Amino acid sequence: MSKMLKLFTGLLLVSLVLAACGGTATETMPEETISDEMCMGAAPGDELSLLYQWSGQEEERLNQILQPLVDTCGIVLKPESTRDQALLDTRVQAGTPPDVAFWQVTQLVQYQDQLQAMDELGADRASYSDFFLDPMTINGRWLGLPIKADIKTIIWYSPATFDALGYSVPTTWDELDALVEQMVADGNVPWSMGLESGDATGWTGSDFIQDILLVQQGPDYVNGLIDGSIPYDDAGVAQAYETYGKWAKDPAYTVGGAQGTLSTAFLAAIYKPFSDPPEAMMVKQSGFAGGEVKTQFPDLVYGTDYDFFVVPGAQGLQGGVEPMMAFNDTPAVRALVTYLASPEGGAAWAAAGFDLSPNKNGEGNYTDPALIKKAEAFYNTQGFTPDIGDSIPGGFGSAEWTAIVDFLNDGDLATALAQAAAVQAEALK
Amino acid sequence: MAARAVPNIMKQGKLAPWLYLLPALLVMGFFIVYPMINTISLSFSNKDGTASAATTCVEGRTCWGIFENYRYALTAEIDSSSVGSFWSSFWRSSYGNTLKWIVLMVSGTVGLGLLFAVLADRVKYEALAKAIIFMPMAVSFVGAGIIWKFVYDFGTQQVQIGLLNAIITGLGFEPVAFLSVPQLNTIALIVVGVWIWTGFCMTILSAAIKSVPDEILEAARVDGATEMTVFWRIMVPIISPTIMVVITTMVINVLKLFDIVYVMTGGNFGTDVIANRMYTEMYVNFNVGRGTAVAVVLVLAIIPFIYFNIKRFLAQEEIR
Repeated sequence: MSKMLKLFTGLLLVSLVLAACGGTATETMPEETISDEMCMGAAPGDELSLLYQWSGQEEERLNQILQPLVDTCGIVLKPESTRDQALLDTRVQAGTPPDVAFWQVTQLVQYQDQLQAMDELGADRASYSDFFLDPMTINGRWLGLPIKADIKTIIWYSPATFDALGYSVPTTWDELDALVEQMVADGNVPWSMGLESGDATGWTGSDFIQDILLVQQGPDYVNGLIDGSIPYDDAGVAQAYETYGKWAKDPAYTVGGAQGTLSTAFLAAIYKPFSDPPEAMMVKQSGFAGGEVKTQFPDLVYGTDYDFFVVPGAQGLQGGVEPMMAFNDTPAVRALVTYLASPEGGAAWAAAGFDLSPNKNGEGNYTDPALIKKAEAFYNTQGFTPDIGDSIPGGFGSAEWTAIVDFLNDGDLATALAQAAAVQAEALK
Repeated sequence: MAARAVPNIMKQGKLAPWLYLLPALLVMGFFIVYPMINTISLSFSNKDGTASAATTCVEGRTCWGIFENYRYALTAEIDSSSVGSFWSSFWRSSYGNTLKWIVLMVSGTVGLGLLFAVLADRVKYEALAKAIIFMPMAVSFVGAGIIWKFVYDFGTQQVQIGLLNAIITGLGFEPVAFLSVPQLNTIALIVVGVWIWTGFCMTILSAAIKSVPDEILEAARVDGATEMTVFWRIMVPIISPTIMVVITTMVINVLKLFDIVYVMTGGNFGTDVIANRMYTEMYVNFNVGRGTAVAVVLVLAIIPFIYFNIKRFLAQEEIR
């Protein structure tokens, strides 16, 4: 045992020296070493079972991030990848849950009685802003480690098209509004919108409206909608709908007008600003849109042919944060939690380029140009709000989509919002 | 000595019939009766089946206590503040739409099926004609939904990839968003249903027409009856039991209809039907209580038709 420890300490020293030597190199690779203390008493050979939805490249990135735990502490990872939530549910009900699971925030509520508190496992609270921890805290217990985030409050455009037509990226909401009017005056269609998405039709509209709410009202207002202190038929929501509807219903502002918005598939809408000739100038869509553009138009180059800017004037961001939850308290689990919440863990996550790390120490360690740009907005945001529809249980999500679809289909706005507000009130009573 | 020896195998106690029935009863009990009872009991519970539905009541709102999920299932889509709003909201609700489906699709499939059966009966290439009309039945409903989604596609570009809109714009008109304009979209979906099911109705009705005795038809024609008279006064009355069976079968099919709506609009834009709503409550909103309540309402709506169908069936058996 002690022999093993010595061996590991030796290896550690060697790698430390190597890392120190490599410090002058231009490549800022993460230090692939962590201190022995961070093993939290985990002995070589200790097993750690993980359950997550990632596969392929995502899984490789996770392995890269967790490699120091394997190298230094000798922890043996027993990962399992599935998209099927029933697997997690069955395991937990059978009393054989994985040590840790990377899943959704709703599972924190669902399994609050089975989960271990993160601070008791050694996670450092100081690594995270409060607005990341609040949704992860259930009945006063910090149950989920915010592990990975993506932001939705962004608009994709083609720098090449903007240059050719003499448009510049807006920095305030008024500038965006002026830019949109300028495009219409020039005979160009500013927006590409598409709500069609099978039984989830409407979600791209709810994303857009939430961003408008962040501009017009701010993150506290959005959180008020989520906890029910502000009813969904409030004047502020109606104002956001009107702003959205002005664009989404008019063929001069969006491709195909209201019926174009309703009938276009959300993926098809992503392509329109980048087709030749472009059908529209901009599309508001989450971070994943970049990958879709790349797949559809392999010749286009990020940064010159397609790029994004953060919705100007948004007081806070909208996005998703995925938690890691721990079902067992073992030294290996403690080591994992401590590591991921540590400066080393945050830096390693950022360096792996696995979306954004809510861990503050990720800042400055990104290498991918798109992530660097997202990170700049992400670490300087005044607030972070989850999707309103996803956060309210009991069918509010689809009620919100229905309200948007009805509103665009020339339904009465007050009636549409009142119906969604009734579902909201019922869900949060 | 005269008593004939009865083989042992012929001597069966009271238990023996039950033993023969046992496997079937077990399977039926496990896969039909138990889920049914469980569904009914869940429909009186809250969203995850852990407490009574009465606990989901919101103060200050109408509540039906333990029947709260049924209040939701029956009234949530309906705006009963005035007669006008009741009328318009009903025809956009899953109930109004299901009613439209029943009326239009059943009359469409049975009417067209009968027409094709009669016409095909009179041509040499009958088998080929019937095969072509029956063919959509061989396409899976999801596949048919996707095919028709392309037919109805509403493009925002100059080039329309949707067949119908290509024709419409080719003739110089504006393209139509078939799947998102309320009322029109439900009709567009029903057309797909008719396209799939007409062949089924035609096959059964065609068999019935073949069984109409030639002597009667010939006698009528000799007496100077026109072909229309022969059809309405002789053929239809003779095959009317079959027509009734086809109608009730189709009504049951339409009440359960889910695939076309789910694939083509997801129940959006005012095209929801009862079966899709059950799915939405269950697997999109994860509300077990409400989902099962809608399911029970659906079962209750189907039962009269099944009863009628069985009665017809038994009556026909007696005739034989």
